[in-house]
Amino acid sequence: MSFDHLKDRFAIVGVGYTPQGKIPGRTAVSFHTEAVRNALADAGIGKEELDALFLYRHFDAIAGDYDVTAFTVAEQLGVRPSVIGQETYCTRGWLFNSIGLLASGLCRYVAVSYGDNARSGRRSFVKELAGGKATDDLAAFGDLSTMAKYAMQARRAMDTYGTGPEVWKEISIAQRQWACLNTRAAMYGKPLDDEGYYASALVAEPLRLLDATPNSDGGRAIILTTVERAKALGRPYAVLRGFGSANQPVSPLRISVEDEDAAAKRASRAAFAMAGITHADVDACELYDCFTYTVEATLRDYGFFRPQEVRDFLRRERLGPGGDLPVNTSGGMLSEAYFMGLTPVAEAVMQLTGRCGDRQLGVLAGTKAPSIIVCSDNGAVFQSHITLVLERGG
Amino acid sequence: MDFFEPRISADTAPFWEGCRAHELRFQRCKHCGKVRWPAGYLCPDCLSEESEPVVLPPEGTIYSYVVMHKPFHPSLADKVPYVVAAVDLAEGVRILANLLDWDGEDLRCGMPVTIDWQDSETYSRPIVKRKGE
Repeated sequence: MSFDHLKDRFAIVGVGYTPQGKIPGRTAVSFHTEAVRNALADAGIGKEELDALFLYRHFDAIAGDYDVTAFTVAEQLGVRPSVIGQETYCTRGWLFNSIGLLASGLCRYVAVSYGDNARSGRRSFVKELAGGKATDDLAAFGDLSTMAKYAMQARRAMDTYGTGPEVWKEISIAQRQWACLNTRAAMYGKPLDDEGYYASALVAEPLRLLDATPNSDGGRAIILTTVERAKALGRPYAVLRGFGSANQPVSPLRISVEDEDAAAKRASRAAFAMAGITHADVDACELYDCFTYTVEATLRDYGFFRPQEVRDFLRRERLGPGGDLPVNTSGGMLSEAYFMGLTPVAEAVMQLTGRCGDRQLGVLAGTKAPSIIVCSDNGAVFQSHITLVLERGG
Repeated sequence: MDFFEPRISADTAPFWEGCRAHELRFQRCKHCGKVRWPAGYLCPDCLSEESEPVVLPPEGTIYSYVVMHKPFHPSLADKVPYVVAAVDLAEGVRILANLLDWDGEDLRCGMPVTIDWQDSETYSRPIVKRKGE
């Protein structure tokens, strides 16, 4: 199926930030509302113009919060969008849902939001148990945590393609270097070296604590609209030049590293073809990095390197500040903050609109001002994936 | 070594009943012949609901494995580190199984293994043995 008629027709016109890191005493809802308010202000539109609101996945309330729903967020923003929605788990439907509403003319402006008090509330990512009882049959094998599922894939890639901690260390350190240029990042002022990486405790071997994204308090939101409206707003924006979406809806156990139909492969092929670009056209990548290995898998599945070349390709000199393939220039989820796909997407928009301060590509020594940035958003365990090719607009 | 009693649904009950009898029991689609896993009401290939039990041989290869170091539940504190393996059986079926008494020696993806059983009071679960053990 070709989506070529949708190329260059939609834009991200607003990005909303909140205080982030460890912000005790605030509800998850408060981070959603603050992020959406700030995104509306960034776009220069009033809240009455918002006619669709999508929240990232629903989580169980923690830290004494009430349940977080899109009803609550809309109520507290004082908006009545004609469409509201929230994923129930980690699918990545927001992009196609937004585009469908904008392309059909059903909606003019769509907000996509994420907020959580995961750090203060110590959110757990162990859904195989509830109240100490198994929720399915995985706990019978001690297969607990999302991290264990990624570790299973990472181990397979080690034995098949020769990757390993020596590679994940490079990803971790490169992103930490970026974070040290970003005052907003959790790891700002906390440089990391080889010794620091290897000192990190093994959690689900082969993955260490530093291979996993830490929890954050805070929120993030973006506003999408048509390119015509984006132009009329008169502010810098990012154009959606290409995109793809694919799901591999099977149990994490059945996901295979070698799968030629991996969701990331299908989504990126569609996005690159629609955008009419090759890898050489990509100025930076902002990738969903729940784990270091996810960055490796995404770049590999996107075709930036051949699987067996992983050790040569993924080096900090390439991915970090001044490298020829800047990746996760905010520090990413690993070193900036965890707001699901909105961490990479927001950073791509900020880079393309030239608002990244010390880490701004084109200002930072040895870098080029970006015109095309590729983003990924990955849901669950490689089960749901979207690719966005964003281009500087305005 | 036990972890947690599995939650067993109407769909997964035949598999766990097979485990109790020390058999790797799955469903074979009567319409297209595909072995179905995970257990389900319909064949995800041809959507037929007709199936018959099939017992797969107790051998396979390690697709991958994880060594769990962090106890994600307090009751696991004295069990870590332990090994969770994904084992490819015949007919494209991949199951989880633990390697008990892991002593830190090298495992490899692709390593051939046999399936044995660990009995608990109320259920049995597959475990991994190296070939020839």
